[in-house]
Amino acid sequence: MEHIRLPKVENVRLLDRVSPKRSRVGTLYLTATHSIFVENEAGVRNETWVLHSLVSSVEKQVATASGCPLLIHCKNFQVLHLIISREQECHDVHLSLQRLCQPESFEELYCFSYKPNVDEKERRQEWDFLDLKADYRRMGLPNSQWKLSPVNQHYKVSDTYPAELFVPESATPPVIVGSSKFRSRGRFPALSYYSKENHAAICRSSQPLSGFSARCLEDEQMLEAILRSNPRSDFMYVVDTRPKLNAIANRAAGKGYENEDNYSNIKFQFIGIENIHVMRNSQQKMLEVSELRSPSMSDFLEGLESSGWLKHIKAVLDAGIFIAKAVAQEGVSVLVHCSDGWDRTSQVCSVASVLLDPFYRTLKGFMVLIEKDWVSFGHKFSHRCNHLVGDPKEVSPIIDQFLECVWQLMEQFPCAFEFSERFLITIHSHIYSCQYGNFIGNNQRERIELRVRERTHSLWSYLWMNRADYVNPLYRPDHSQTQGLLRPSTAPYCFKFWRGLYNRFDRGMHPRQCVEDYLRAIREETQQLEEQLASHKEKISQLEQDQVWSDTWIPTASDNSPTVWAHGNDLGLVNTPQDYTGGFITSSPCQPKAPDGALILVPQDLNQTTDSNFSNGSDQESGIADLSCRSPLSEDSARDPDSDEAAYSAA
Amino acid sequence: MFSVKPTKPTFKSYLPPVQTDVKKSIEPPIKKLEPKLLPGEIVVNEANFVKKCISNESNQDDLWGKLICTNFKVSFIPQDAPLKQTPQLSHLLLGEHDIPLTCLELVETVNDTKGKKKVLGSNQKLKFNPSELILYCKDLRIIRFCFDEAGPDSAKKVCLAIGHYSHPADLQLLFGFEYQGRRYHETKGGRANGSTPRVGLQTPTFGCPSDWDREIKRTGASEWRVCSINENYAISPSLPEYIVVPVSLADQDLKQFSSFFTDRRIPLWCWNHPNGGALVRMASITDPLQQRKIERIFTAITKSHPQRSEVFRSDLDKCLPNIQEIQSAFAKIRQLCVLDPFEESEEKWFSFIENSRWLEYVRSFLRHSTEIVYYLEGKNAPVVLQEEEDRDLNCVVSSLVQLMLDPHYRSLSGFQSLVQKEWVMAGHRFLDRCNHLKKNYKEECPLFVLFLDCVWQMMNQYPAAFEFTETYLTVLSDSMWIPLFSTFLFNSPKQRALHLMEFAKSKAIPQGEDQVVYFPPVWEWSQQFSTKDQTLFNNPMYIGKGVQKGEVKTFRRTKKSYSSTVRGATTSVRNGLKGGEDALPRRGSLVSELKPDFSPVKDESPSERFFRDWFSRPADLQGLLIPLLMPSHVVLWKLFFLRWVPEVCIPSGGPITAFHKLSQLVDEIDILQSQLRQYKAPAQGSMPLPSPSGPPSDQRRMYFKASSPDDPPTSTDCLTSSFPFTPAGNLCRRTVYGTPISKFLNGAKIWLSTETLAYDAV
Repeated sequence: MEHIRLPKVENVRLLDRVSPKRSRVGTLYLTATHSIFVENEAGVRNETWVLHSLVSSVEKQVATASGCPLLIHCKNFQVLHLIISREQECHDVHLSLQRLCQPESFEELYCFSYKPNVDEKERRQEWDFLDLKADYRRMGLPNSQWKLSPVNQHYKVSDTYPAELFVPESATPPVIVGSSKFRSRGRFPALSYYSKENHAAICRSSQPLSGFSARCLEDEQMLEAILRSNPRSDFMYVVDTRPKLNAIANRAAGKGYENEDNYSNIKFQFIGIENIHVMRNSQQKMLEVSELRSPSMSDFLEGLESSGWLKHIKAVLDAGIFIAKAVAQEGVSVLVHCSDGWDRTSQVCSVASVLLDPFYRTLKGFMVLIEKDWVSFGHKFSHRCNHLVGDPKEVSPIIDQFLECVWQLMEQFPCAFEFSERFLITIHSHIYSCQYGNFIGNNQRERIELRVRERTHSLWSYLWMNRADYVNPLYRPDHSQTQGLLRPSTAPYCFKFWRGLYNRFDRGMHPRQCVEDYLRAIREETQQLEEQLASHKEKISQLEQDQVWSDTWIPTASDNSPTVWAHGNDLGLVNTPQDYTGGFITSSPCQPKAPDGALILVPQDLNQTTDSNFSNGSDQESGIADLSCRSPLSEDSARDPDSDEAAYSAA
Repeated sequence: MFSVKPTKPTFKSYLPPVQTDVKKSIEPPIKKLEPKLLPGEIVVNEANFVKKCISNESNQDDLWGKLICTNFKVSFIPQDAPLKQTPQLSHLLLGEHDIPLTCLELVETVNDTKGKKKVLGSNQKLKFNPSELILYCKDLRIIRFCFDEAGPDSAKKVCLAIGHYSHPADLQLLFGFEYQGRRYHETKGGRANGSTPRVGLQTPTFGCPSDWDREIKRTGASEWRVCSINENYAISPSLPEYIVVPVSLADQDLKQFSSFFTDRRIPLWCWNHPNGGALVRMASITDPLQQRKIERIFTAITKSHPQRSEVFRSDLDKCLPNIQEIQSAFAKIRQLCVLDPFEESEEKWFSFIENSRWLEYVRSFLRHSTEIVYYLEGKNAPVVLQEEEDRDLNCVVSSLVQLMLDPHYRSLSGFQSLVQKEWVMAGHRFLDRCNHLKKNYKEECPLFVLFLDCVWQMMNQYPAAFEFTETYLTVLSDSMWIPLFSTFLFNSPKQRALHLMEFAKSKAIPQGEDQVVYFPPVWEWSQQFSTKDQTLFNNPMYIGKGVQKGEVKTFRRTKKSYSSTVRGATTSVRNGLKGGEDALPRRGSLVSELKPDFSPVKDESPSERFFRDWFSRPADLQGLLIPLLMPSHVVLWKLFFLRWVPEVCIPSGGPITAFHKLSQLVDEIDILQSQLRQYKAPAQGSMPLPSPSGPPSDQRRMYFKASSPDDPPTSTDCLTSSFPFTPAGNLCRRTVYGTPISKFLNGAKIWLSTETLAYDAV
């Protein structure tokens, strides 16, 4: 609380981004965890909550006659434009927020103070929900070719790797250790994915310390061991996901890439995904385009192109396709690396896994995949997502790109994924929110030291409990369309701007209908009709038994099930929009909600503002305008008296 | 489905033949490469041992067969039956490898070894032996044939024939006239006893007063009447014979006024808003001195309005691209989609798209239409659309406005009547704009395609609001290039009537016979597609309440439906609610409650306010629909532009996979509902027992049927994103090596005049 200079500011205006002429007036509260904007309007408490850990920047602009503007950018792409009437107040809010959104130590992170109503036993169970070893078992491991190696126990070989890793059966500890000494940060080749069907594997590592001519016998033996563990193949691919120039430049620093002459039977391949700095700048440019107020067609298209964002997405997907084809179609094992093997390598391995294995296209499988290729293999979440104040050059939207690759695939294969866009967006938000312990720290070792499993909650079990919210109704698990290898097209026309994520908070930017909502409704209707049919059949047989198969039958039926008649009498009516909305709502799953913030997507059917050239704001009449811009992570604090409500009332 | 006749004893044997499996006996021992000809169709020229190139990469899939030019189409008959049958739309009149001559954009012959090429027109000579023939089609296909093994002479002849016959000297030479004449006489017997159901007749032609009358009644335009002063096209050659005019204007006045307008086009009534505002279109005024008299027309339109609202006039020429700009945008985007080398366009895809300006034009037509919608719906005013000739831009805008405002036009039959009313009868010059005779390239303009693209954009945003699918729109655009239907062949109703009269005379069709009978419109889809294939037009998500009645009043948003949706919607965002206290819908407007010094909403324009209000409410699919027009919402119509491009094709992917699943679900619902109905019907013992499979399969609405355990595995497993079209055999990009395609297609006018000099320099 010591960072809050001013807990409450009156007469604050919140501007609408799409139509800035419209604004709401209210009071801004600063709490330990959230900024809360409460609209002053008789009888209604209309609130916008923003979690401090989601704030990426706070910008104070030049004061004008109407007040002092404060621009808050969030990591989930929400932008709040506040106007505070007194400059001094604005200054105080600015300074407070700047400090609040940049915690200096892990202890300050939200996950350590987040206490939903879950008892300790349940909380521990949350962390047992995902088990990576079970996934390796699913792949058929360990087997005669691959074994679980204890070599990295206590993180002695590589402090950024997980403690338990699968390596080729023939790789002895001296070989592994030797190989690790020849790899950046000791990240030796280890298994990421194994194909039961043809024994081809995806392995990952960091770059070799080859410089201009250095060799390492153990590293060569390690690759040989990987190659031999796939008995049907007489060569393997080594994929360096960097552009060739970058890899060559690394040689001067004693790093570099494998020399085909030194390793037996490898085929070496560069793929050319740009580095984290290029990606950061590209996303920044893309976001600027998405924030344009009323762009012309050319502002948008040319801005999108010059940001290069979709080109980078395509590069990641292309790399994934290359590897997936090598494994599934050629039956050849692949070793993937970039520089340190925790950014591009994570992207590419996980994209390849999604393409290869239908399991990773299920809700649970996708969680397992992120847990495996990102969390356990040491993607530096805290650095990349800027959880703590730190080096801005370490920040980069690498995981965003992976989630977007999956979204682009979902657009191409609408029936192949068990989860919906909402699932990806929820995960995205929580990677940045620090509400759960899953993504805290940069590797497994740090999380153990922070005692994340003992002190925080796990996102995965929360998502699983609410899975009905994230299910894609079009998913067809048993259909040939969605089995096996996905073969997406990577022609430039197949890449779209992901409006649902980047313009998520811009009401009026979203299509007002989506196929999924209709499908949910249709599904509901099918179920209803089936039930009615069953009940009719039951009644008929009952009546037949009772020997009263006569005129009395009709009234009985109608009395007992009026809905049947409503549907049956007017077939044209069953598909009315009201029915859909109603159906959608009533059918919406009554799963137990974990008492924390479920993310709200901007509702598809309401609060739409049009293109700003037409319209100027959003709904007031319906009284629901503000719900969607409220912080998605707010419910917990609202409901849980122990944590935030206290802070709120104190303020 | 079909019954196999029991095989009769043949003369060879007096024993009845063994009942063999039908499928086995289909395989003929030696295949004769005979073209399937329509009545009246004749083979003009043919070449054997021709190779049709199928793939860019390798030639192992190439097909060998016979290339035939008839007076209707270019046909290719492969020697070997295709290996696997991919599910696709099968045309009843055209085979998989057939291209109607009218569909040819450009016929190009190439001689590889000599490095020569020549574009062929009518009555031309060829000084080299062609080694290949490349056909650029108006439906964006590109087909290549090689003559390596064919006799040089027959190759040359068939190329020249294709070049010649694709450039008909006269409209009457289009094959449709021959075909429909033959067909008329062949089917006459059948029709005489009234047994031929004509589905297409359900679509009104607006060629008779009663069609207009019905439209007046449907829209409640009580201050308007049908006027017949243009009977026999006595006043204007481009207006229909019957037009709708204000009740307050007498025929005599109208006759007088007509002379003040281009082409003597009296302002034409299109539609009436339920609140009384009329939508009227008119040509420019030729005699500005008569301004005062013309004002009387506007006064009459104002008078027709219950509140006497002032007419809003919109001059489309001033705010929308002209036909040359549209044509050039289309040429560019087509080039980008099907011609430019893939590697080049890859890096700069978005800026290439932008340079074409096609999407920008689509957006500006949609935007302008929404502005008109504002005047009709928001300002409750009558609107007059004005354009130089009233035959191009007005067609697009008036149809889009009606699509947005009136759900009737979002049904299949409603949409067809809209095209009939605002395009065919209003005198859109299809003949010139399609350039069927390939004479005047300056007049060519894909305005109708632009309109279909705009419709698609709306459909893309409101997937449940339209009864028809994007497949329907695509097939409709393809039908423009099949000259067998009267819809897209003429410049005006008058030209149509004259030609059909002449045609009737020459084919001995009795006078007084309905034109629709002897030269049917495209709306008779059963001429082109089987009943099963036509179900691809049905949108499984369509919500068609009240459409059957077609009453305009049903689409006004009722209080009840509005509030119920709001209530539902509020609960749907429950995650953000605090204990449900916000769950009650709030009444009253914020604007009135805000303190004055904090209400910058004041300077919001009324139209902004109108659109804001509309977008703040849940969309009522049976009411007004306004498309979102942020640039991220206006996207390329992939099925239309990219269906033939193999690189874009996603195996087992694309929107079709969702369509597949939705169709199956809807079919399942249909089955269940029909079962329910049967249970509920008076069970007096006379009813047949409910069949477990629902309605008979030929009556089912959906192309994809709900699967039941006894169904055999279908071929739908290999659906691609191009479905129901298949990109195999359509060559784009790389193959057209060395050809300055851009020169050809971009500036079609240029090459026609100079092609011989430039490309045939022997």
